[in-house]
Amino acid sequence: MANSNLPRRIIKETQRLLSEPAPGISASPSEDNMRYFNVMILGPTQSPYEGGVFKLELFLPEEYPMAAPKVRFLTKIYHPNIDKLGRICLDILKDKWSPALQIRTVLLSIQALLSAPNPDDPLSENIAKHWKTNETEAVETAKEWTRLYASGA
Amino acid sequence: MESEDDMHDANDVDSLEDFYSGETAMASDDDGDGDYDFGDNESDGSDDITSHRQQNYTILSEVDILERQEEDILRISTVLSIPRVAATILLRHYNWDVSKVHDAWFADEEKVRQAVGLLEKPVVQFPKSRELTCGICFESYPRDKIYSTACSHPFCTSCWEGYVSTAISDGPGCLSLRCPDPSCGSAVGQDMINVLASEEDKEKYTRYLLRSYVEDNRKTKWCPAPGCDYAVDFVVGSGIYDVSCNCSYSFCWNCTEEAHRPVDCGTVAKWILKNSAESENMNWILANSKPCPKCKRPIEKNQGCMHITCTPPCKYEFCWLCLGSWSDHGERTGGFYACNRYETAKQEGVYDETEKRREMAKNSLERYTHYYERWATNQSSRQKAIADLQQMQAVHIERLSDKQCQPESQLKFITEAWLQIIECRRVLKWTYAYGYYLPEYEHAKRVFFEYLQGEAESGLERLHQCAEKELQSFLNLDGPSKDFNEFRTKLAGLTSVTRNYFENLVRALENGLADVDAHGASSRSSSSKSLGGNGKGKGGRGKGASCRSSGSSRNLEDTDHWSCEHCTFANVRAVTTCQMCNRHR
Repeated sequence: MANSNLPRRIIKETQRLLSEPAPGISASPSEDNMRYFNVMILGPTQSPYEGGVFKLELFLPEEYPMAAPKVRFLTKIYHPNIDKLGRICLDILKDKWSPALQIRTVLLSIQALLSAPNPDDPLSENIAKHWKTNETEAVETAKEWTRLYASGA
Repeated sequence: MESEDDMHDANDVDSLEDFYSGETAMASDDDGDGDYDFGDNESDGSDDITSHRQQNYTILSEVDILERQEEDILRISTVLSIPRVAATILLRHYNWDVSKVHDAWFADEEKVRQAVGLLEKPVVQFPKSRELTCGICFESYPRDKIYSTACSHPFCTSCWEGYVSTAISDGPGCLSLRCPDPSCGSAVGQDMINVLASEEDKEKYTRYLLRSYVEDNRKTKWCPAPGCDYAVDFVVGSGIYDVSCNCSYSFCWNCTEEAHRPVDCGTVAKWILKNSAESENMNWILANSKPCPKCKRPIEKNQGCMHITCTPPCKYEFCWLCLGSWSDHGERTGGFYACNRYETAKQEGVYDETEKRREMAKNSLERYTHYYERWATNQSSRQKAIADLQQMQAVHIERLSDKQCQPESQLKFITEAWLQIIECRRVLKWTYAYGYYLPEYEHAKRVFFEYLQGEAESGLERLHQCAEKELQSFLNLDGPSKDFNEFRTKLAGLTSVTRNYFENLVRALENGLADVDAHGASSRSSSSKSLGGNGKGKGGRGKGASCRSSGSSRNLEDTDHWSCEHCTFANVRAVTTCQMCNRHR
């Protein structure tokens, strides 16, 4: 079973995530699979996602920490680096992954990505185009989506 | 001859020095950069097609590559006084360019060290405690179980092993591996790999390092022939790209397609794409089929009357000519074999657009097929010649040597003839790609080109015939023949004449048939005269050539040109003597 042979590193990371959570982030392992985490990230202040509660799933593959964790947004979000399936375009989740990174650092990076969208390296072409041609309007849409889908109701 | 000087100017000088001298020693000691000049490319004397040019490349075996790599590493390591491993990392970073490493290092050593990850002192200090915590698995270990690069970020042996093996299985990127700490750029060198990687991974790493030396280096490439392990070191900027590998494969160093002089790389790429492209299929469908008016599936009409019934489930019945429903047709509209409605409509111009498109596609397809067939025929003819040569070398030469009481060294002219045939087939093949892309509106060039091609073809046929058929008659004899010496003279003569002709042809085509542009310049046109003239001893024009040229001369009657009766060159109306052969109109 997945839980029977859990590496010490994962156990330690999990303990630290639970005992000293990063501000605005919560991550807790699923009961039947310790490699699967339910994650919540609060929309950063002064971003279009402020006031929103975003649900994500995070999975630690067998090769972790030699391979990056797999992370995906479950809450719909209007963001140039996140597509409609919730997949995230973030370098440390791909070629820039290092085993010295952790769940915590990954989630902090995602939180930072919400504060600073990067339409020059888009995952969702349409949203990125929107962002670049009319940023005010795109930000409005992002706020609207936050209200509609991430209000925590 | 004046024309020869012309050619010297037009081409890279060094390639022509011993153009006519046959097999001279090639041990060139050019510009010091590639200090290796192995005689071994030439020493066996079997590949004398390339030996007419001075060689601007060196074939490297794996041993040679390793030797050169080691030499570069040692040089950098000595000059910069850095360890061997550091020198390797530096060289790889600068794509194995020794002088670039020198320049960068002596311009700003600190900057280079930063960029490459060669730190001089640790980034972190180990705490005094006896145990250290691994930055990956968070376990505590005694100091001797902890490794780190120059930065001192501590990671345990087993995490390092995992890190290194993941990187190596990810590909050649492992050659620029850095410390696992994301904020740290400290390089992981081969010394650490050797401690931490499995035997298999070490092997892979060494392989990547060797490959990098060839692949990242601007001056070297692998021979593209399947299964060939040789690399080619090329003197960049020396013009002619044809390379003949020790595995006997000839290729273009620039685009790594097979050797394709006189056609340029761009044309070859276009031609290869065209040969493989789906677009030709589309052209065919467009030219030879019409879509069913109801279900739009393409239908090829290969026989029968105009009454078409589409295949089930559609089963629509329609008229092939006007594509109208068959129920509107009958005796009144022309019956099964014609369609009055179509004829009237065509006269009114209704069908013009689509018909024209279909007609054009059909023409272009026919044109392409014409060139492709000839290109492919020469290709297979060349393959056959290669096989024949092998047979010749394996069996026939020995037999001939026995029967004619000639030492094998005296029979080299036969091998030479066959090598020439193989080379000529290759050139001739590519002239068809050349012809396909020679614009239709360049009448004079086309005529001239087809004349040259026709001559080349008949010259080569003659050589091929002589090497194949006439040689056969000597193989069938039981004893020595007094005619054999005569045969030797003939075949050797044909070989050299054909070689010259083809070398000139290649140059003329590479030159874009520039002579044709210079109508008035008589000095130029004399150089092209030598082209035709070099094939002396040939009895008149080949049949194919004369047919073709008479055909094209007819086309020219109405234009501003007149076609010379003797050599078919298209002259401008104003002149009365042929610019090509100087004969009167």
